[in-house]
Amino acid sequence: MGLDFSGLEPPTIRASSSFPNLQPNILSSPSFELPSVKDLDGFEKAAVEMVKPVHGTTTLAFLFKHGVIVAADSRASMGQYISSQSVKKVLEINRYLLGTMAGGAADCQFWQRNLGTRCRLHELANKRRISVAGASKLLANTLYSYRGMGLSMGTMIAGWDETGPGLFYVDSEGGRIKGRLFSVGSGSTYAYGILDSGYHFHMSVDEAVDLGRHAIYHATFRDGASGGVASVYYVGPEGWKKIAGDDVSELHYKYYPVSQPVVEQEMVEILGYPPTGNLGDCSSIPIYRNVASS
Amino acid sequence: MAKADVKLPQMQSGFDFGLCRRNDMLVKQGGKPAKFLKTGTTIVGLVYKDGVILGADTRATEGEIVADKNCEKIHYIAPNIYCCGAGTAADTEAVTDMVSSQLELHRYATGRESRVVTALTILKSHLFSYKGYVSAALVLGGVDITGPHLHAVYPHGSTDTLPFATMGSGSLAAMSIFESGYKEDLTREEGMELVSAAICAGIFNDLGSGSNVDLCVITKGGKEYLRNYKKPNPRTYIREKGYSFAKGHTQVLSTTIVPLKDKVTIIEGEAMEE
Amino acid sequence: MSIFTYNGSALVAMVGKECFAIASDRRLGVQFQTIATDFQRIFKVHDKLYIGLSGLASDVQTLQQRLQFRHKLYQLREERDMRPETFAHLVSAMLYEKRFGPYFCQPVIGGLDRDDKPFICTMDSIGAIEHSKDFVVSGTASESLYGACESMFKPEMDPEELFETISQALLASVDRDCLSGWGGIVYVVTPDQVITRTLKGRMD
Repeated sequence: MGLDFSGLEPPTIRASSSFPNLQPNILSSPSFELPSVKDLDGFEKAAVEMVKPVHGTTTLAFLFKHGVIVAADSRASMGQYISSQSVKKVLEINRYLLGTMAGGAADCQFWQRNLGTRCRLHELANKRRISVAGASKLLANTLYSYRGMGLSMGTMIAGWDETGPGLFYVDSEGGRIKGRLFSVGSGSTYAYGILDSGYHFHMSVDEAVDLGRHAIYHATFRDGASGGVASVYYVGPEGWKKIAGDDVSELHYKYYPVSQPVVEQEMVEILGYPPTGNLGDCSSIPIYRNVASS
Repeated sequence: MAKADVKLPQMQSGFDFGLCRRNDMLVKQGGKPAKFLKTGTTIVGLVYKDGVILGADTRATEGEIVADKNCEKIHYIAPNIYCCGAGTAADTEAVTDMVSSQLELHRYATGRESRVVTALTILKSHLFSYKGYVSAALVLGGVDITGPHLHAVYPHGSTDTLPFATMGSGSLAAMSIFESGYKEDLTREEGMELVSAAICAGIFNDLGSGSNVDLCVITKGGKEYLRNYKKPNPRTYIREKGYSFAKGHTQVLSTTIVPLKDKVTIIEGEAMEE
Repeated sequence: MSIFTYNGSALVAMVGKECFAIASDRRLGVQFQTIATDFQRIFKVHDKLYIGLSGLASDVQTLQQRLQFRHKLYQLREERDMRPETFAHLVSAMLYEKRFGPYFCQPVIGGLDRDDKPFICTMDSIGAIEHSKDFVVSGTASESLYGACESMFKPEMDPEELFETISQALLASVDRDCLSGWGGIVYVVTPDQVITRTLKGRMD
């Protein structure tokens, strides 16, 4: 008599016996036809270059004592052109899970929505919420199956599950890293600068929100491809909550206030101005004739 | 007060290739080379009964952008010779300026009116020596002691002598008008009408050409430069009132106001007496 | 990425009633990285003549120094200031000299001529002059600037109105360009004074 391993099978496969038509449509990863070109690698590379409007981005997320902070800017650019200043780069997967968007906007939106459906199905099948680790692995597996085919994503999956706060970095190369502090996008180096210098595990929620916001502001200041609004989310035991959405331009003048506008007026008269015709020592005064008088 | 004797640094004439190596390196590193102002153009000319008529559109482009909606493409060469230019704007401008200054000096030396063939020879020898890299396509026209002349000059230095000529990206559209409408001994009015019809064909059918029609009619002992002879493309989208912003609308961080002083005036001969 | 967009810039000049204004952004970047927000692109040639240089920052400074040198020689020899038109041709000749290995600069020139008649022009990097009666633009934000100026410009504006218009056109345009912005500076030149203002702009 053999052991019953059916409990180890993914619940989705067990469910498929009673709903046979569900599996190919929703439960398996959706798949696309490959383009019929000779040079697939070259084609994909060119295609990625074409469809990556939110490539310039700053997103960040970090764990701390009370939960996770997730923050992002809101600029979408196409080359040097700013195509939008109001993009939502923090994607709300469900009440307890957040994803961030860097790389291709369409790739991130599509696959994170797909992740949302699969997380919900997990809940229905198992009568408990999916863990952050599990959700991020679902996404990572999907992305790994498309590896080298042109997807472009750098995302952080943050949330709260039975084990407390969780944070994972997942990218289109198939990587999945558990960590305490991440920043993704063209402005990430600038954000890391602020995060690393201001981060303590034991800070309060308010301090953490300020740190996230300041890091995003700083990245938008230094990085031409980041800008717009700094939105900050906090994930706690009760799920996520949007804490702030501040125009970074207003933040700049808050962090670096300008004094009242100054008006300088230069003096008209110069002391000891030599009279016309007798110039004396004029080494310091340029002498040329007026165009009209010559 | 004696004028200061300031020597300018010794200028070498001709092109300076000093930055070429650096720029090649930059292009290798950074991708696209420079884009220049071009005149995607329709330029034409024809010989009529009493002389020559030149015509041009007035659009200058930089890539897909219309950089100038009313530029001048009919260049002065001599009082009796003008030249339409197509191609890279800086080249047509520089090459026609160069010829006009040489001819001016030549007139001072000889005291005679310039001839069209002289201009043509200077142009073609310059262009030929630069192997087409000076990208100027020209329609040269004028009236001299030997009568009216019209020439087409190509960037590599070859030339045509023709009763009617077209050049530029709109040359095909313009040529279709000339081929169907040109005949010998046109009157001035007929000629002007035909030239402006040819330019309009370029303006409306060629994307690189647009805006207005410039004409230049050269006759024996006279010329008439008709700038914006026709304006078939007036602005249609102008807002009557325009946009106005209240004073103080723009947020300002600092203001500096510098009054301009009158320059010192020197009265010659009185200042230096002992 | 073209070399013209390496540092990023926005430049514009406008004509008003017996005055002109020339304005630029203040960013110096290396591609998308902002290095400084107080970079000078507009230079005074003399009291009533200003030149703005967009494009590669090192060429901007080299060209500015060569132009200043040539203008000083002219002042010493001629004992007067250069007319804007003359200066434009000097710049053009200096750029065309390097026809086959150009400076990566697109100049904008603004000046008051004899009788304080305003003069503005621009040229490409090899010196093709483009005169204008209303406005000229250059730099990485030039496409947005064309649009903004085309709709905002009105003829015969007084200095204050001109300042507001050129500032709004500049600020609106750089907000759609990643590579320029970070504040602005405007020079309004009238026959008897020069008003320089730094603008409060978006810092992203």
